[in-house]
Amino acid sequence: MKTPEEIGRMSPEQLEAESAAQEACVPQDLERRIMETLAADEIASAVPARRPFRQTLWLPLSAVAAAAALFLIFRSATPGRPLRDTYDDPYLAYAEVEKTFRTISDKLSTGTKLVRQARETAGKPREILDKTQSR
Amino acid sequence: MKRIMIAIAAVLLLAPCAFAQSGERIYRKYADADNVSVVYISPSMFRIIGRLPDLDVGDGQIDFTPIVRSLTGLYVIDSENPSVNDDLRRSAVGNDGYELLMEAREDKDVVRIYAKGNEQVVNGFIVFADEGDEVRYICLEGRMPRDEFDRLLSEQMRD
Repeated sequence: MKTPEEIGRMSPEQLEAESAAQEACVPQDLERRIMETLAADEIASAVPARRPFRQTLWLPLSAVAAAAALFLIFRSATPGRPLRDTYDDPYLAYAEVEKTFRTISDKLSTGTKLVRQARETAGKPREILDKTQSR
Repeated sequence: MKRIMIAIAAVLLLAPCAFAQSGERIYRKYADADNVSVVYISPSMFRIIGRLPDLDVGDGQIDFTPIVRSLTGLYVIDSENPSVNDDLRRSAVGNDGYELLMEAREDKDVVRIYAKGNEQVVNGFIVFADEGDEVRYICLEGRMPRDEFDRLLSEQMRD
């Protein structure tokens, strides 16, 4: 290995001859590193790929759904034309209320009747058991 | 972000259902349908009825008068229209706070009774009676004292 002073004293022809005589030392993984650097550069500069259609579809669909929902909410909350009473005469209205309560009473009785029947049926085995035990 | 947007959209879509099934809405929906008779009594009319001097609503044994005075709306729908009947069976009572108090089935007849409110007040009472060819929907709205309501209901069921 020559010192810088020795190199300074050498002529260009001597330098060329010296250089040709020495074997160049190339790092073993130089090629791989170059390829990696090039590939990384290519990835970094690449244009971003467009998202598939299905991935971007949810956004407009959500917007449409939200708009539809807001419309329905607005329509539900906005009172329409005021309802008109079926009866103008309070006595007729009163008669209708009374009739309605009678209907409600009948319907409740239907349920009560069924409960009573079920209770009677459920009580039969107990009656039989009580009779059997008392003998 | 995507999930949040979808959740918001779902909530917004479901929100109208929350107040879609009040008595008034059902009434408006079917009031003009064929083979459907409807009755509506407004809060104003209930105020007038409440002032009637000889008000005595009941079947002789049970006095409904206190309840009547607390009502603000009555909607009755009596339908013999098959498509309306199907619709009522599906959606007469939504999930808008009503709880099922009673269901009775006898042959093909079904009676369901619902109420909504809190511990102090009953705000709504629905009787849904399905007799096959005929469906009757009765909705009472108001501020009925819970104690009074429960007492009447239990008296009625005891008889």
